Amino acid sequence: MTIVLRTEGLTKRFGALTAVDRLDIEVREGEVFGFLGPNGAGKTTTLRLLCALIAPSAGSAEIAGLRLGRDDERIRGSVGILTEHPGLYERLTATENLMFFAALYGMEKRQARAQVERFLRLMGLWEKRDDAVVTFSRGMKQKMAIARAALHEPRLLFLDEPTTGLDPDAARTVRDLILSLAREGRTVFLCTHNLDEADRLCDRIAFFRRQVIRIDEPDRLRAELYGRTVEIRVVPTPRPEHLERVRTVHGVREAWLENGSILVRTDDPLGTDPAVVRELVGAGADIAFVSERRVSLEDVYLKIVHDQEDAEKAPARP
Amino acid sequence: MTLAARASRTTIIGAVCGREWREAAGNKLLVGMTLFPPVVILAAGVFAVAAAAVYPPSESDLRAIYAAAPAVQGLDPTQAVQGLIAQYFLILFMLIPTVVPLTIAIYSVIGEKSARTLEPLLATPVGVGELLLAKSIASTVPAVLVTWVAYVIYLGSVFVFGSPPAVHAVTAPRWVLAVIVMVPLLTALSVNLGILISTRVNDVRVAQQIGGLVVVPIVAIGIAQVTGRVVLDDQSFFSTTIFLIAVDVIVFFAAKVAFQRENILSRWR
Repeated sequence: MTIVLRTEGLTKRFGALTAVDRLDIEVREGEVFGFLGPNGAGKTTTLRLLCALIAPSAGSAEIAGLRLGRDDERIRGSVGILTEHPGLYERLTATENLMFFAALYGMEKRQARAQVERFLRLMGLWEKRDDAVVTFSRGMKQKMAIARAALHEPRLLFLDEPTTGLDPDAARTVRDLILSLAREGRTVFLCTHNLDEADRLCDRIAFFRRQVIRIDEPDRLRAELYGRTVEIRVVPTPRPEHLERVRTVHGVREAWLENGSILVRTDDPLGTDPAVVRELVGAGADIAFVSERRVSLEDVYLKIVHDQEDAEKAPARP
Repeated sequence: MTLAARASRTTIIGAVCGREWREAAGNKLLVGMTLFPPVVILAAGVFAVAAAAVYPPSESDLRAIYAAAPAVQGLDPTQAVQGLIAQYFLILFMLIPTVVPLTIAIYSVIGEKSARTLEPLLATPVGVGELLLAKSIASTVPAVLVTWVAYVIYLGSVFVFGSPPAVHAVTAPRWVLAVIVMVPLLTALSVNLGILISTRVNDVRVAQQIGGLVVVPIVAIGIAQVTGRVVLDDQSFFSTTIFLIAVDVIVFFAAKVAFQRENILSRWR
Protein backbone atom coordinates (compact mmCIF):
# COMPACT_ATOMS: atom_id res chain seq x y z
CA MET A 1 0.00 0.00 0.00
CA THR A 2 1.27 3.48 -0.90
CA ILE A 3 2.43 5.66 1.95
CA VAL A 4 1.10 9.19 1.41
CA LEU A 5 2.52 10.71 4.59
CA ARG A 6 5.70 9.77 6.41
CA THR A 7 7.41 11.67 9.21
CA GLU A 8 10.74 10.91 10.82
CA GLY A 9 11.65 12.57 14.10
CA LEU A 10 9.49 15.56 13.25
CA THR A 11 9.84 18.06 16.06
CA LYS A 12 8.50 21.53 16.72
CA ARG A 13 9.77 23.71 19.51
CA PHE A 14 8.53 27.16 20.50
CA GLY A 15 11.33 28.49 22.67
CA ALA A 16 11.64 26.14 25.62
CA LEU A 17 8.34 24.40 24.87
CA THR A 18 8.41 21.27 22.74
CA ALA A 19 4.98 21.06 21.12
CA VAL A 20 5.72 18.06 18.91
CA ASP A 21 8.48 15.68 19.90
CA ARG A 22 10.09 13.28 17.41
CA LEU A 23 6.93 12.33 15.56
CA ASP A 24 7.25 9.14 13.53
CA ILE A 25 4.15 8.14 11.62
CA GLU A 26 3.18 6.62 8.30
CA VAL A 27 -0.25 7.16 6.80
CA ARG A 28 -1.45 4.96 3.95
CA GLU A 29 -3.17 6.25 0.86
CA GLY A 30 -6.95 6.03 1.09
CA GLU A 31 -7.22 5.42 4.81
CA VAL A 32 -9.00 7.49 7.43
CA PHE A 33 -6.33 8.09 10.05
CA GLY A 34 -7.47 9.26 13.47
CA PHE A 35 -5.20 11.52 15.48
CA LEU A 36 -6.39 11.58 19.08
CA GLY A 37 -5.03 13.34 22.10
CA PRO A 38 -5.96 15.58 25.01
CA ASN A 39 -6.16 19.37 24.74
CA GLY A 40 -2.73 20.93 24.38
CA ALA A 41 -1.23 17.68 23.12
CA GLY A 42 0.12 19.39 20.00
CA LYS A 43 -2.43 18.13 17.47
CA THR A 44 -3.03 21.50 15.81
CA THR A 45 0.71 22.20 15.69
CA THR A 46 1.20 18.81 14.02
CA LEU A 47 -1.45 19.66 11.45
CA ARG A 48 0.19 22.99 10.73
CA LEU A 49 3.55 21.28 10.31
CA LEU A 50 2.14 18.69 7.94
CA CYS A 51 0.35 21.36 5.88
CA ALA A 52 3.62 23.30 5.51
CA LEU A 53 2.21 26.24 7.43
CA ILE A 54 5.01 26.28 9.98
CA ALA A 55 8.54 24.96 9.74
CA PRO A 56 9.79 22.05 11.84
CA SER A 57 12.60 22.55 14.34
CA ALA A 58 14.00 19.11 13.52
CA GLY A 59 13.17 15.95 11.62
CA SER A 60 11.71 15.43 8.19
CA ALA A 61 8.44 14.65 6.48
CA GLU A 62 7.29 13.50 3.08
CA ILE A 63 3.76 14.49 2.19
CA ALA A 64 2.09 13.33 -1.02
CA GLY A 65 5.54 12.50 -2.36
CA LEU A 66 6.85 16.00 -1.60
CA ARG A 67 9.55 16.99 0.84
CA LEU A 68 8.58 19.30 3.71
CA GLY A 69 10.82 22.38 3.74
CA ARG A 70 11.73 22.01 0.06
CA ASP A 71 8.34 21.75 -1.68
CA ASP A 72 6.15 23.67 0.76
CA GLU A 73 4.07 25.50 -1.82
CA ARG A 74 3.37 22.27 -3.73
CA ILE A 75 2.51 20.52 -0.47
CA ARG A 76 -0.07 23.20 0.26
CA GLY A 77 -1.55 22.56 -3.17
CA SER A 78 -1.69 18.81 -2.55
CA VAL A 79 -3.37 18.92 0.83
CA GLY A 80 -6.54 20.48 2.17
CA ILE A 81 -7.07 21.62 5.74
CA LEU A 82 -10.14 22.23 7.83
CA THR A 83 -8.89 24.55 10.54
CA GLU A 84 -10.21 24.74 14.09
CA HIS A 85 -12.39 27.72 13.13
CA PRO A 86 -14.29 27.85 9.82
CA GLY A 87 -12.66 31.22 8.95
CA LEU A 88 -15.04 32.23 6.17
CA TYR A 89 -15.56 35.67 4.67
CA GLU A 90 -18.94 36.36 6.16
CA ARG A 91 -20.00 39.24 3.93
CA LEU A 92 -19.42 37.14 0.82
CA THR A 93 -21.83 34.54 -0.48
CA ALA A 94 -21.14 30.81 -0.34
CA THR A 95 -20.21 30.79 -4.03
CA GLU A 96 -17.96 33.85 -3.72
CA ASN A 97 -16.10 32.28 -0.80
CA LEU A 98 -15.38 29.06 -2.66
CA MET A 99 -14.59 30.78 -5.98
CA PHE A 100 -12.02 32.95 -4.19
CA PHE A 101 -10.20 29.93 -2.83
CA ALA A 102 -10.49 28.12 -6.17
CA ALA A 103 -8.64 31.06 -7.75
CA LEU A 104 -5.87 30.88 -5.14
CA TYR A 105 -5.56 27.14 -5.82
CA GLY A 106 -5.00 28.05 -9.47
CA MET A 107 -8.15 26.35 -10.75
CA GLU A 108 -9.59 27.43 -14.09
CA LYS A 109 -12.88 29.29 -13.86
CA ARG A 110 -15.00 26.61 -15.53
CA GLN A 111 -13.43 23.86 -13.44
CA ALA A 112 -13.84 25.98 -10.31
CA ARG A 113 -17.53 26.59 -10.99
CA ALA A 114 -18.10 22.86 -11.48
CA GLN A 115 -16.29 22.01 -8.24
CA VAL A 116 -18.12 24.70 -6.30
CA GLU A 117 -21.46 23.35 -7.51
CA ARG A 118 -20.41 19.77 -6.74
CA PHE A 119 -19.41 20.50 -3.15
CA LEU A 120 -22.26 22.86 -2.38
CA ARG A 121 -24.70 20.18 -3.56
CA LEU A 122 -22.83 17.50 -1.60
CA MET A 123 -23.11 19.62 1.54
CA GLY A 124 -26.75 20.47 0.96
CA LEU A 125 -25.93 24.17 0.53
CA TRP A 126 -26.67 24.61 -3.17
CA GLU A 127 -29.95 26.41 -2.50
CA LYS A 128 -28.05 28.87 -0.29
CA ARG A 129 -25.27 29.50 -2.79
CA ASP A 130 -26.10 33.21 -3.24
CA ASP A 131 -26.67 33.93 0.45
CA ALA A 132 -24.08 35.78 2.52
CA VAL A 133 -22.26 33.39 4.86
CA VAL A 134 -23.10 35.67 7.80
CA THR A 135 -26.66 34.34 7.61
CA PHE A 136 -25.51 30.70 7.93
CA SER A 137 -25.80 28.56 11.05
CA ARG A 138 -22.64 27.20 12.68
CA GLY A 139 -23.22 23.81 11.07
CA MET A 140 -23.61 25.34 7.63
CA LYS A 141 -20.40 27.30 8.10
CA GLN A 142 -18.57 24.15 9.12
CA LYS A 143 -19.84 22.38 6.01
CA MET A 144 -18.70 25.34 3.92
CA ALA A 145 -15.24 25.11 5.47
CA ILE A 146 -15.06 21.40 4.66
CA ALA A 147 -16.14 22.11 1.10
CA ARG A 148 -13.36 24.70 0.86
CA ALA A 149 -10.78 22.20 2.17
CA ALA A 150 -11.81 19.55 -0.36
CA LEU A 151 -12.52 21.87 -3.30
CA HIS A 152 -9.23 21.27 -5.14
CA GLU A 153 -9.41 17.49 -4.68
CA PRO A 154 -6.39 17.20 -2.39
CA ARG A 155 -4.68 13.83 -2.01
CA LEU A 156 -4.60 14.31 1.72
CA LEU A 157 -7.27 16.06 3.72
CA PHE A 158 -6.54 17.27 7.26
CA LEU A 159 -9.66 17.78 9.34
CA ASP A 160 -9.44 19.40 12.77
CA GLU A 161 -12.57 18.55 14.78
CA PRO A 162 -14.87 18.45 11.75
CA THR A 163 -18.13 17.75 13.58
CA THR A 164 -17.68 20.00 16.61
CA GLY A 165 -20.79 22.07 17.17
CA LEU A 166 -22.81 20.32 14.49
CA ASP A 167 -26.30 18.95 15.03
CA PRO A 168 -26.66 15.18 14.52
CA ASP A 169 -27.96 15.62 10.98
CA ALA A 170 -25.10 17.88 9.89
CA ALA A 171 -22.57 15.65 11.69
CA ARG A 172 -23.86 12.66 9.72
CA THR A 173 -23.50 14.60 6.44
CA VAL A 174 -19.87 15.35 7.35
CA ARG A 175 -19.16 11.74 8.35
CA ASP A 176 -20.72 10.49 5.12
CA LEU A 177 -18.55 12.91 3.18
CA ILE A 178 -15.41 11.68 4.96
CA LEU A 179 -16.28 8.10 4.11
CA SER A 180 -17.09 8.96 0.50
CA LEU A 181 -13.76 10.77 0.14
CA ALA A 182 -11.99 7.73 1.53
CA ARG A 183 -13.88 5.51 -0.94
CA GLU A 184 -12.58 7.77 -3.74
CA GLY A 185 -9.07 6.91 -2.54
CA ARG A 186 -8.39 10.17 -0.72
CA THR A 187 -6.61 10.05 2.59
CA VAL A 188 -8.24 11.71 5.57
CA PHE A 189 -6.19 12.73 8.60
CA LEU A 190 -8.77 13.29 11.29
CA CYS A 191 -8.09 15.16 14.54
CA THR A 192 -10.99 14.66 16.88
CA HIS A 193 -12.09 14.50 20.47
CA ASN A 194 -15.15 12.56 19.42
CA LEU A 195 -14.01 9.03 20.14
CA ASP A 196 -17.24 7.46 18.96
CA GLU A 197 -16.74 9.22 15.64
CA ALA A 198 -13.11 8.09 15.43
CA ASP A 199 -14.25 4.54 16.16
CA ARG A 200 -16.79 4.64 13.36
CA LEU A 201 -14.65 6.35 10.75
CA CYS A 202 -11.01 5.52 11.28
CA ASP A 203 -9.10 2.61 9.84
CA ARG A 204 -6.26 3.34 12.23
CA ILE A 205 -5.79 5.70 15.10
CA ALA A 206 -2.82 7.31 16.76
CA PHE A 207 -2.91 8.36 20.40
CA PHE A 208 -0.78 11.43 20.66
CA ARG A 209 0.59 13.61 23.40
CA ARG A 210 3.53 15.55 22.07
CA GLN A 211 4.71 12.12 20.95
CA VAL A 212 2.80 9.23 19.44
CA ILE A 213 1.90 6.86 22.26
CA ARG A 214 0.24 4.14 20.18
CA ILE A 215 -0.88 3.59 16.59
CA ASP A 216 -3.12 0.74 15.55
CA GLU A 217 -6.56 -0.30 14.35
CA PRO A 218 -9.22 0.41 16.99
CA ASP A 219 -10.28 -3.24 17.30
CA ARG A 220 -6.73 -4.47 17.70
CA LEU A 221 -6.10 -1.93 20.46
CA ARG A 222 -9.26 -3.06 22.25
CA ALA A 223 -8.28 -6.69 21.97
CA GLU A 224 -4.78 -6.01 23.17
CA LEU A 225 -5.72 -3.87 26.14
CA TYR A 226 -8.94 -5.47 27.23
CA GLY A 227 -9.24 -8.76 25.37
CA ARG A 228 -12.76 -9.64 24.18
CA THR A 229 -15.59 -9.52 26.66
CA VAL A 230 -18.82 -11.55 26.33
CA GLU A 231 -21.91 -11.10 28.40
CA ILE A 232 -23.82 -14.30 29.32
CA ARG A 233 -27.30 -13.62 30.66
CA VAL A 234 -28.38 -16.34 33.05
CA VAL A 235 -32.02 -16.50 34.21
CA PRO A 236 -33.28 -15.84 36.74
CA THR A 237 -29.82 -14.90 38.12
CA PRO A 238 -26.40 -16.52 37.99
CA ARG A 239 -25.32 -18.36 41.10
CA PRO A 240 -21.83 -18.06 42.67
CA GLU A 241 -20.95 -21.61 41.61
CA HIS A 242 -21.66 -20.68 37.97
CA LEU A 243 -19.00 -18.01 38.21
CA GLU A 244 -16.56 -20.45 39.82
CA ARG A 245 -17.13 -22.97 37.03
CA VAL A 246 -16.56 -20.31 34.36
CA ARG A 247 -13.28 -19.29 35.95
CA THR A 248 -11.98 -22.84 35.60
CA VAL A 249 -12.39 -22.84 31.81
CA HIS A 250 -9.11 -22.72 29.92
CA GLY A 251 -8.60 -19.36 28.13
CA VAL A 252 -10.72 -17.25 30.50
CA ARG A 253 -8.70 -14.21 31.53
CA GLU A 254 -11.24 -12.77 33.90
CA ALA A 255 -14.90 -13.36 34.89
CA TRP A 256 -17.25 -11.35 37.07
CA LEU A 257 -20.94 -10.75 37.84
CA GLU A 258 -22.72 -7.63 36.67
CA ASN A 259 -26.46 -6.89 36.65
CA GLY A 260 -27.62 -10.48 36.43
CA SER A 261 -25.04 -11.50 33.85
CA ILE A 262 -21.68 -13.20 33.88
CA LEU A 263 -19.02 -11.25 32.03
CA VAL A 264 -16.11 -13.18 30.62
CA ARG A 265 -12.92 -11.68 29.23
CA THR A 266 -10.79 -13.78 26.95
CA ASP A 267 -8.12 -13.39 24.31
CA ASP A 268 -9.60 -16.10 22.10
CA PRO A 269 -13.38 -15.78 22.05
CA LEU A 270 -13.90 -18.32 19.25
CA GLY A 271 -12.09 -21.01 21.18
CA THR A 272 -13.15 -20.11 24.71
CA ASP A 273 -16.79 -18.94 24.50
CA PRO A 274 -18.29 -22.33 23.41
CA ALA A 275 -16.45 -24.03 26.28
CA VAL A 276 -17.80 -21.47 28.77
CA VAL A 277 -21.37 -22.02 27.52
CA ARG A 278 -20.96 -25.82 27.76
CA GLU A 279 -19.64 -25.48 31.32
CA LEU A 280 -22.57 -23.30 32.38
CA VAL A 281 -25.17 -25.56 30.78
CA GLY A 282 -23.46 -28.51 32.49
CA ALA A 283 -23.81 -26.63 35.80
CA GLY A 284 -27.56 -26.29 35.25
CA ALA A 285 -27.62 -22.62 34.24
CA ASP A 286 -30.44 -21.40 31.99
CA ILE A 287 -28.82 -19.08 29.43
CA ALA A 288 -31.10 -16.40 27.91
CA PHE A 289 -28.51 -14.92 25.51
CA VAL A 290 -24.81 -14.52 24.83
CA SER A 291 -23.54 -11.28 23.33
CA GLU A 292 -20.23 -9.53 22.79
CA ARG A 293 -19.66 -6.48 24.95
CA ARG A 294 -17.63 -3.89 23.07
CA VAL A 295 -15.18 -1.86 25.06
CA SER A 296 -15.60 1.75 24.01
CA LEU A 297 -12.75 3.59 22.37
CA GLU A 298 -13.10 6.05 25.21
CA ASP A 299 -12.01 3.34 27.66
CA VAL A 300 -9.08 2.49 25.41
CA TYR A 301 -8.14 6.16 25.09
CA LEU A 302 -8.33 6.84 28.82
CA LYS A 303 -6.32 3.75 29.65
CA ILE A 304 -3.58 4.61 27.20
CA VAL A 305 -3.40 8.27 28.20
CA HIS A 306 -3.53 7.54 31.93
CA ASP A 307 -0.95 4.77 31.65
CA GLN A 308 1.34 7.24 29.96
CA GLU A 309 0.68 9.87 32.61
CA ASP A 310 1.49 7.32 35.32
CA ALA A 311 4.66 6.32 33.52
CA GLU A 312 5.73 9.98 33.32
CA LYS A 313 5.00 10.53 37.03
CA ALA A 314 6.77 7.37 38.18
CA PRO A 315 10.20 8.15 39.67
CA ALA A 316 13.06 7.08 37.49
CA ARG A 317 14.84 3.97 38.75
CA PRO A 318 18.42 4.49 39.85
CA MET B 1 -5.01 13.87 -8.70
CA THR B 2 -5.31 17.31 -7.15
CA LEU B 3 -6.79 20.11 -9.25
CA ALA B 4 -4.55 22.72 -7.64
CA ALA B 5 -1.96 24.51 -9.75
CA ARG B 6 0.30 27.50 -9.27
CA ALA B 7 -1.89 30.57 -9.66
CA SER B 8 -0.31 33.47 -11.54
CA ARG B 9 0.51 36.66 -9.65
CA THR B 10 -2.16 38.51 -11.67
CA THR B 11 -4.76 35.92 -10.67
CA ILE B 12 -3.79 36.18 -7.00
CA ILE B 13 -3.88 39.99 -7.02
CA GLY B 14 -7.17 39.96 -8.93
CA ALA B 15 -8.75 37.44 -6.55
CA VAL B 16 -7.56 39.20 -3.38
CA CYS B 17 -8.55 42.67 -4.63
CA GLY B 18 -11.97 41.44 -5.80
CA ARG B 19 -12.60 39.72 -2.49
CA GLU B 20 -11.41 42.65 -0.36
CA TRP B 21 -13.41 45.20 -2.33
CA ARG B 22 -16.59 43.11 -2.24
CA GLU B 23 -16.19 42.71 1.52
CA ALA B 24 -15.36 46.40 2.01
CA ALA B 25 -18.41 47.45 -0.02
CA GLY B 26 -20.57 45.51 2.43
CA ASN B 27 -18.97 47.21 5.44
CA LYS B 28 -20.88 50.47 5.86
CA LEU B 29 -18.57 51.70 8.61
CA LEU B 30 -15.50 51.19 6.42
CA VAL B 31 -17.17 52.83 3.40
CA GLY B 32 -18.15 55.77 5.61
CA MET B 33 -14.68 56.11 7.10
CA THR B 34 -13.16 55.93 3.61
CA LEU B 35 -15.38 58.57 2.06
CA PHE B 36 -15.76 60.94 5.00
CA PRO B 37 -12.28 62.62 4.92
CA PRO B 38 -12.22 63.35 1.16
CA VAL B 39 -15.81 64.60 1.19
CA VAL B 40 -15.10 66.93 4.13
CA ILE B 41 -11.83 68.25 2.66
CA LEU B 42 -13.38 68.67 -0.78
CA ALA B 43 -16.48 70.41 0.54
CA ALA B 44 -14.41 72.70 2.75
CA GLY B 45 -12.05 73.55 -0.13
CA VAL B 46 -14.82 74.32 -2.60
CA PHE B 47 -16.74 76.30 0.03
CA ALA B 48 -13.65 78.35 1.00
CA VAL B 49 -12.80 79.24 -2.62
CA ALA B 50 -16.43 80.14 -3.38
CA ALA B 51 -16.81 82.11 -0.14
CA ALA B 52 -13.69 84.13 -0.88
CA ALA B 53 -15.31 85.29 -4.12
CA VAL B 54 -18.44 86.44 -2.27
CA TYR B 55 -16.82 87.90 0.83
CA PRO B 56 -13.71 89.95 0.05
CA PRO B 57 -11.04 90.04 2.77
CA SER B 58 -10.78 92.88 5.26
CA GLU B 59 -7.81 95.21 5.26
CA SER B 60 -6.20 93.45 8.21
CA ASP B 61 -6.71 90.00 6.55
CA LEU B 62 -5.13 91.34 3.42
CA ARG B 63 -2.09 92.64 5.26
CA ALA B 64 -1.64 89.23 6.89
CA ILE B 65 -1.99 87.48 3.52
CA TYR B 66 0.57 89.76 1.85
CA ALA B 67 2.94 89.20 4.76
CA ALA B 68 2.60 85.40 4.57
CA ALA B 69 2.74 85.23 0.77
CA PRO B 70 4.64 88.10 -0.79
CA ALA B 71 4.07 86.56 -4.25
CA VAL B 72 0.40 87.60 -4.24
CA GLN B 73 1.16 91.25 -3.43
CA GLY B 74 -0.31 93.59 -6.01
CA LEU B 75 -3.13 91.24 -6.95
CA ASP B 76 -6.78 92.06 -6.55
CA PRO B 77 -7.67 91.17 -2.88
CA THR B 78 -10.33 88.57 -3.83
CA GLN B 79 -8.05 86.96 -6.37
CA ALA B 80 -5.15 86.91 -3.91
CA VAL B 81 -7.22 85.24 -1.22
CA GLN B 82 -8.65 82.68 -3.64
CA GLY B 83 -5.21 81.84 -4.99
CA LEU B 84 -3.86 81.35 -1.50
CA ILE B 85 -6.80 79.25 -0.30
CA ALA B 86 -6.79 77.10 -3.44
CA GLN B 87 -3.12 76.29 -2.94
CA TYR B 88 -3.31 75.60 0.79
CA PHE B 89 -6.19 73.19 0.33
CA LEU B 90 -3.98 71.17 -1.98
CA ILE B 91 -1.86 70.39 1.07
CA LEU B 92 -4.97 69.15 2.83
CA PHE B 93 -5.59 66.88 -0.18
CA MET B 94 -2.33 65.17 0.72
CA LEU B 95 -4.00 64.05 3.94
CA ILE B 96 -6.49 61.90 2.02
CA PRO B 97 -3.91 59.33 0.84
CA THR B 98 -2.61 59.01 4.40
CA VAL B 99 -5.92 58.69 6.24
CA VAL B 100 -8.10 56.68 3.82
CA PRO B 101 -5.79 53.75 2.98
CA LEU B 102 -4.72 53.45 6.60
CA THR B 103 -8.28 52.56 7.57
CA ILE B 104 -8.65 50.11 4.68
CA ALA B 105 -5.29 48.43 5.37
CA ILE B 106 -6.00 48.11 9.08
CA TYR B 107 -9.38 46.50 8.42
CA SER B 108 -7.76 44.27 5.82
CA VAL B 109 -5.43 42.68 8.39
CA ILE B 110 -7.18 43.08 11.74
CA GLY B 111 -10.48 42.12 10.11
CA GLU B 112 -8.90 38.85 8.94
CA LYS B 113 -7.28 38.31 12.33
CA SER B 114 -10.53 38.67 14.23
CA ALA B 115 -12.52 36.61 11.71
CA ARG B 116 -9.77 33.95 11.79
CA THR B 117 -9.64 33.82 8.03
CA LEU B 118 -5.87 34.07 7.74
CA GLU B 119 -5.06 30.42 8.39
CA PRO B 120 -7.15 29.03 5.51
CA LEU B 121 -5.71 31.78 3.32
CA LEU B 122 -2.13 30.88 4.28
CA ALA B 123 -2.87 27.20 3.67
CA THR B 124 -3.22 27.87 -0.06
CA PRO B 125 -0.23 27.53 -2.39
CA VAL B 126 0.37 31.29 -2.40
CA GLY B 127 3.51 33.03 -1.15
CA VAL B 128 3.07 35.48 1.75
CA GLY B 129 4.94 38.12 -0.26
CA GLU B 130 2.37 37.81 -3.04
CA LEU B 131 -0.42 37.91 -0.52
CA LEU B 132 1.00 41.04 1.09
CA LEU B 133 1.49 42.68 -2.29
CA ALA B 134 -2.09 41.84 -3.26
CA LYS B 135 -3.38 43.24 0.03
CA SER B 136 -1.30 46.40 -0.40
CA ILE B 137 -2.69 46.92 -3.89
CA ALA B 138 -6.23 46.23 -2.70
CA SER B 139 -5.89 49.02 -0.11
CA THR B 140 -3.87 51.42 -2.27
CA VAL B 141 -6.02 51.51 -5.42
CA PRO B 142 -9.29 52.76 -3.87
CA ALA B 143 -7.47 55.41 -1.81
CA VAL B 144 -5.58 56.72 -4.82
CA LEU B 145 -8.74 56.75 -6.92
CA VAL B 146 -10.71 58.55 -4.21
CA THR B 147 -7.97 61.20 -3.93
CA TRP B 148 -7.71 61.68 -7.67
CA VAL B 149 -11.49 61.94 -8.07
CA ALA B 150 -11.61 64.47 -5.22
CA TYR B 151 -8.79 66.44 -6.86
CA VAL B 152 -10.56 66.47 -10.25
CA ILE B 153 -13.79 67.68 -8.62
CA TYR B 154 -11.79 70.33 -6.77
CA LEU B 155 -10.15 71.44 -10.02
CA GLY B 156 -13.57 71.69 -11.69
CA SER B 157 -14.93 73.72 -8.79
CA VAL B 158 -11.96 76.11 -8.83
CA PHE B 159 -12.45 76.56 -12.58
CA VAL B 160 -16.11 77.45 -11.92
CA PHE B 161 -15.79 79.57 -8.77
CA GLY B 162 -12.16 80.58 -8.69
CA SER B 163 -10.15 83.51 -10.00
CA PRO B 164 -7.30 83.09 -12.53
CA PRO B 165 -4.67 83.00 -9.74
CA ALA B 166 -6.66 80.22 -8.02
CA VAL B 167 -6.85 78.25 -11.28
CA HIS B 168 -3.17 78.88 -11.83
CA ALA B 169 -2.34 77.62 -8.30
CA VAL B 170 -4.22 74.33 -8.61
CA THR B 171 -3.04 73.57 -12.14
CA ALA B 172 0.61 74.36 -11.46
CA PRO B 173 2.69 71.49 -12.89
CA ARG B 174 4.31 70.99 -9.48
CA TRP B 175 0.94 70.28 -7.86
CA VAL B 176 -0.36 68.15 -10.71
CA LEU B 177 2.82 66.08 -10.45
CA ALA B 178 2.45 65.96 -6.69
CA VAL B 179 -1.04 64.52 -7.02
CA ILE B 180 0.02 62.02 -9.69
CA VAL B 181 3.29 60.89 -8.09
CA MET B 182 3.17 61.69 -4.39
CA VAL B 183 -0.38 60.52 -3.75
CA PRO B 184 0.40 56.88 -4.70
CA LEU B 185 3.66 57.03 -2.74
CA LEU B 186 1.98 58.43 0.38
CA THR B 187 -0.82 55.88 -0.01
CA ALA B 188 1.62 52.97 -0.27
CA LEU B 189 3.45 54.26 2.81
CA SER B 190 0.24 54.54 4.77
CA VAL B 191 -0.95 51.07 3.66
CA ASN B 192 2.25 49.30 4.62
CA LEU B 193 2.46 51.16 7.91
CA GLY B 194 -1.15 50.12 8.52
CA ILE B 195 -0.24 46.50 7.83
CA LEU B 196 2.84 46.73 10.02
CA ILE B 197 0.86 48.21 12.92
CA SER B 198 -1.93 45.67 12.45
CA THR B 199 0.51 42.82 12.97
CA ARG B 200 1.08 44.06 16.52
CA VAL B 201 -2.38 45.10 17.72
CA ASN B 202 -5.81 43.52 17.56
CA ASP B 203 -8.01 46.57 17.90
CA VAL B 204 -8.91 48.68 14.88
CA ARG B 205 -9.20 51.85 16.97
CA VAL B 206 -5.77 51.39 18.59
CA ALA B 207 -4.22 50.73 15.18
CA GLN B 208 -5.87 53.87 13.79
CA GLN B 209 -4.59 55.97 16.67
CA ILE B 210 -1.05 54.75 16.15
CA GLY B 211 -1.36 55.02 12.37
CA GLY B 212 -2.77 58.52 12.71
CA LEU B 213 0.76 59.69 13.46
CA VAL B 214 1.45 59.35 9.73
CA VAL B 215 -0.47 62.57 9.11
CA VAL B 216 1.72 64.55 11.48
CA PRO B 217 4.53 65.26 8.96
CA ILE B 218 1.96 66.31 6.32
CA VAL B 219 0.25 68.69 8.74
CA ALA B 220 3.67 69.99 9.85
CA ILE B 221 4.65 70.74 6.25
CA GLY B 222 1.30 72.49 5.72
CA ILE B 223 1.74 74.65 8.80
CA ALA B 224 5.34 75.41 7.90
CA GLN B 225 4.28 76.53 4.45
CA VAL B 226 1.38 78.65 5.74
CA THR B 227 3.72 80.40 8.17
CA GLY B 228 6.27 80.92 5.44
CA ARG B 229 8.92 78.72 7.07
CA VAL B 230 9.02 76.24 4.20
CA VAL B 231 8.63 76.98 0.52
CA LEU B 232 7.38 74.00 -1.48
CA ASP B 233 9.45 74.54 -4.58
CA ASP B 234 10.50 72.07 -7.28
CA GLN B 235 13.60 71.04 -5.35
CA SER B 236 11.69 70.22 -2.17
CA PHE B 237 9.09 68.23 -4.15
CA PHE B 238 11.83 66.22 -5.81
CA SER B 239 13.60 65.56 -2.50
CA THR B 240 10.32 64.56 -0.82
CA THR B 241 9.53 62.18 -3.68
CA ILE B 242 12.89 60.45 -3.40
CA PHE B 243 12.53 60.28 0.37
CA LEU B 244 9.03 58.77 0.05
CA ILE B 245 10.22 56.12 -2.42
CA ALA B 246 13.00 55.10 -0.02
CA VAL B 247 10.66 55.01 3.00
CA ASP B 248 8.05 53.05 0.98
CA VAL B 249 10.60 50.36 0.17
CA ILE B 250 11.82 50.14 3.77
CA VAL B 251 8.32 49.97 5.24
CA PHE B 252 7.18 47.38 2.66
CA PHE B 253 10.06 45.10 3.60
CA ALA B 254 9.43 45.68 7.30
CA ALA B 255 5.78 44.70 6.73
CA LYS B 256 6.95 41.66 4.77
CA VAL B 257 9.14 40.55 7.67
CA ALA B 258 6.24 40.94 10.12
CA PHE B 259 3.81 39.26 7.75
CA GLN B 260 5.37 35.79 7.83
CA ARG B 261 3.29 32.61 7.83
CA GLU B 262 4.78 31.24 11.05
CA ASN B 263 4.59 34.58 12.88
CA ILE B 264 0.98 35.01 11.91
CA LEU B 265 -0.05 31.53 13.05
CA SER B 266 2.09 31.17 16.14
CA ARG B 267 2.51 34.65 17.55
CA TRP B 268 -0.36 36.84 16.38
CA ARG B 269 -3.02 36.96 19.06
